[in-house]
Amino acid sequence: MLRRLLFVVLVLASCRPSGRPAVGPPRRIVSLLPSFTEILFAIGAGDRVVGRTKWCDYPPAALAVPSVGEGLPPNVEAVAARHPDLVVLYNAGPNVTAAEQLERIGIRTVLIDLNRLEDLGPATRTLGRLTGFAARAESLAAFLDSLSHQPPPSSTTSTTLAFVVWDNPPIIIGHGSYLDELATAAGARNVFSDIPAPSAQVSLETIAARNPQWIAVLSDSGMPSLPGFAKRREWRAVRAVRDGHFLMLPGSLFGRPGPRSGEAIRQLRALLAR
Amino acid sequence: MLRLAGVSYRYPGASRDALSAVSLSVGPREFHAVLGPNGSGKTTLVRIALGALQPLVGRADVDGRSASSWPRHDLARLVGVVPQREDNLFPQRVRETVLLGRYPHLTLWGRERAEDHAAVDRALASCDAQHLADRWLWTLSGGEYQRVRVARALAQEPKLLVLDEPGMSLDLRHEMGLFELVRGLVEMNGLGVLMITHDLNLAARFADSLLLLEGGRPVAAGAPAEVLTQATVETVFSWPVAMQTVDGRPQMIPLRQPKESRP
Amino acid sequence: MRWTLLVVVAVLALVASVALGPAAVPLPELLHSDIVWNLRAPRALLAFLVGGSLGVAGAGLQALVRNPLADPFLLGLSGGAGLGAVLAIALHLSGPWALPIAAFVGALAALGLVYRLGLIGGTGRGGALDPRILLLGGVAIGAFAAAITTAIVALADAAELRNAFLWLWGGLSGASWDSVLLVVLYVPIPLAVLLAASRPLDLLALGEESAGYLGADVEAVKRRVYLAASLLTAVAVAVSGVIGFVGLVVPHLVRITWGHRHRALLPAAFLGGGALLAFADTLARTVVAPRELPVGVVTALIGVPVFALLLRRWTIA
Repeated sequence: MLRRLLFVVLVLASCRPSGRPAVGPPRRIVSLLPSFTEILFAIGAGDRVVGRTKWCDYPPAALAVPSVGEGLPPNVEAVAARHPDLVVLYNAGPNVTAAEQLERIGIRTVLIDLNRLEDLGPATRTLGRLTGFAARAESLAAFLDSLSHQPPPSSTTSTTLAFVVWDNPPIIIGHGSYLDELATAAGARNVFSDIPAPSAQVSLETIAARNPQWIAVLSDSGMPSLPGFAKRREWRAVRAVRDGHFLMLPGSLFGRPGPRSGEAIRQLRALLAR
Repeated sequence: MLRLAGVSYRYPGASRDALSAVSLSVGPREFHAVLGPNGSGKTTLVRIALGALQPLVGRADVDGRSASSWPRHDLARLVGVVPQREDNLFPQRVRETVLLGRYPHLTLWGRERAEDHAAVDRALASCDAQHLADRWLWTLSGGEYQRVRVARALAQEPKLLVLDEPGMSLDLRHEMGLFELVRGLVEMNGLGVLMITHDLNLAARFADSLLLLEGGRPVAAGAPAEVLTQATVETVFSWPVAMQTVDGRPQMIPLRQPKESRP
Repeated sequence: MRWTLLVVVAVLALVASVALGPAAVPLPELLHSDIVWNLRAPRALLAFLVGGSLGVAGAGLQALVRNPLADPFLLGLSGGAGLGAVLAIALHLSGPWALPIAAFVGALAALGLVYRLGLIGGTGRGGALDPRILLLGGVAIGAFAAAITTAIVALADAAELRNAFLWLWGGLSGASWDSVLLVVLYVPIPLAVLLAASRPLDLLALGEESAGYLGADVEAVKRRVYLAASLLTAVAVAVSGVIGFVGLVVPHLVRITWGHRHRALLPAAFLGGGALLAFADTLARTVVAPRELPVGVVTALIGVPVFALLLRRWTIA
């Protein structure tokens, strides 16, 4: 009972009410985050999606939906041109302004938080409620909730890794970001989980000293099998670079929390077991 | 040493010549002064004489060679210049700034030698400025600073000294002192001197030869008594004057305008 | 005496740079540590070389443009380098040296443009380099390049390009024995050119006309000093981004003790700049460990108060 109440409060807190009374579930939805697009298709509301960002590339059916450009910040005119009755946005600064602009021209918007694994369940339930597919959303949400309740890995036996998103200066992923949670869920330990920020610049010597067994890099589909910095002399001070222990993670699957997060965790576990 | 023959020059884009058919010759032990109202081409003459500008007509030679073909380094060993303005950016002591005059005698990587410091001492002595050697430049009076600049030019050990309006902002005592100093350098050290000045009277008293310019043209040249006649001065400077003689040299005294025609 | 002190300070800065760092390497293991030899040692040396080059370039430029506020990055080189780097990323140029080479080429392009702007009266013998126009042209070209860079970043795929800006803020993370070797082979010639111009630079302080009458070949000196200082700055940007304040503040600090004679000032500026940057890099690596600050931020945080103190000194004196 209390949990349900908490859930309702959270949903209400992350939603912005529109000024008009609802007239049935929306039939023309613009999704401004790849994760939301995936969730909408997953719960069966895919044919109601009439606009997406250029980054929304999954499922393949989403590619048939017209793109309205970048998601952050969104092109308000392009969004309005799709005549939506609901626009779903990721809750961040520039999007708040865009949402206000859309509301002013009479378009209903909703801002949803989606930063970590535990946001997936609530986000899915919200979208389910809004589109009228609450039942299907609930089963997906329950599964996604279970992902974030994995036991933390023990520091003596689990594999260690570091996520490197930029090489010069070296920028790694720290605690509190989605990738860090993926690592934990896959049974690995992020050597930089002591840094409380989602991303941070560190010295190369710190990476070398902490000696992760794997270096994980988010890649695009067209990229080579090794990142560019693998050949740089100073990076070879890191053992994982010397040994070629790179995890090339496709950005589309690993870069965004969504219905495929379970798949991402599974793939990561498999890669780590090699 | 310095010879200009029939020199004409016009600045790019100007409507008239800055200098027109000017001839001049300065040898050792000669003190030449160039006079004329503002805009008569005096500074242009100095630039051409030193090779900074090339004459459009005529020649400007130093020691038989065209002034502009002299490498700067070698020319600086022959000619010492005290320009009108100096804009010293950094604080310096007198000795350091006079030492800069030794540049044309130094090699690229070599240090300053004993003979360089000796030359500096001699230059300061000639200008009666040894007592200023360790002072900071900014603490000097106008007259003292001018002496130091002359000393720097002397440190080059030149045969010819060129001064552009050196007495400009000096008071009576210091201006007289400067002219006495230059006269002394001519007579004792055997230098040739070319000086631009607007002070007709002092030029007439101290110089051996005058060149009077107007609008870039030479109006009169020669001994002071020949050049500075009442008629000439009144025409060139557009002002009534009376002439007197002091020490055998002409001196001009400007007259006041009569009451009715005063502006 | 003061030279001894300066050398001691420089050596201390280098030693600290090698001995201190976020990865705790105990003293006995220092000489055997892989981290020390492959990461810290080349990084310390690179910091010293880059800092020294910027110090000398700054001193030379301040004399050339007769402006105590001149900093090597006023000449538009950083804008050109940033544009080159961003273009390299936007065009997906690959290879470990793609970014530094692109930045170097961009810096040279800016150098060429500003030089051409600063030459009055043609490129031949009759042309004279006007230092005021060098300054103004540098600011203009730098701003122009920065605007184009920002436009590219705004229009293209954003994430990677935003990281390029972090690189531009200055960092010695890319230091390796390769880059140290490159810099060691490259800098002696521009440094020698600047050192050879020491006396003419002293003369230039009196003004171009007076310097010419004292025997300096003023035009040749201006060109050489400008090109040498710019080439030093270009290689600094290419290997370590834009590190400000070193070229501006170090010459002034050194002048306090060594005066204005460039024969002493330039070598002292090299040692002082090297020591300062090595020290700043050590701070950048250790103050927020395990995280790291961009070294350009540290030099700015040190440089601004020092500069304010210097200004007070001038206005009181």
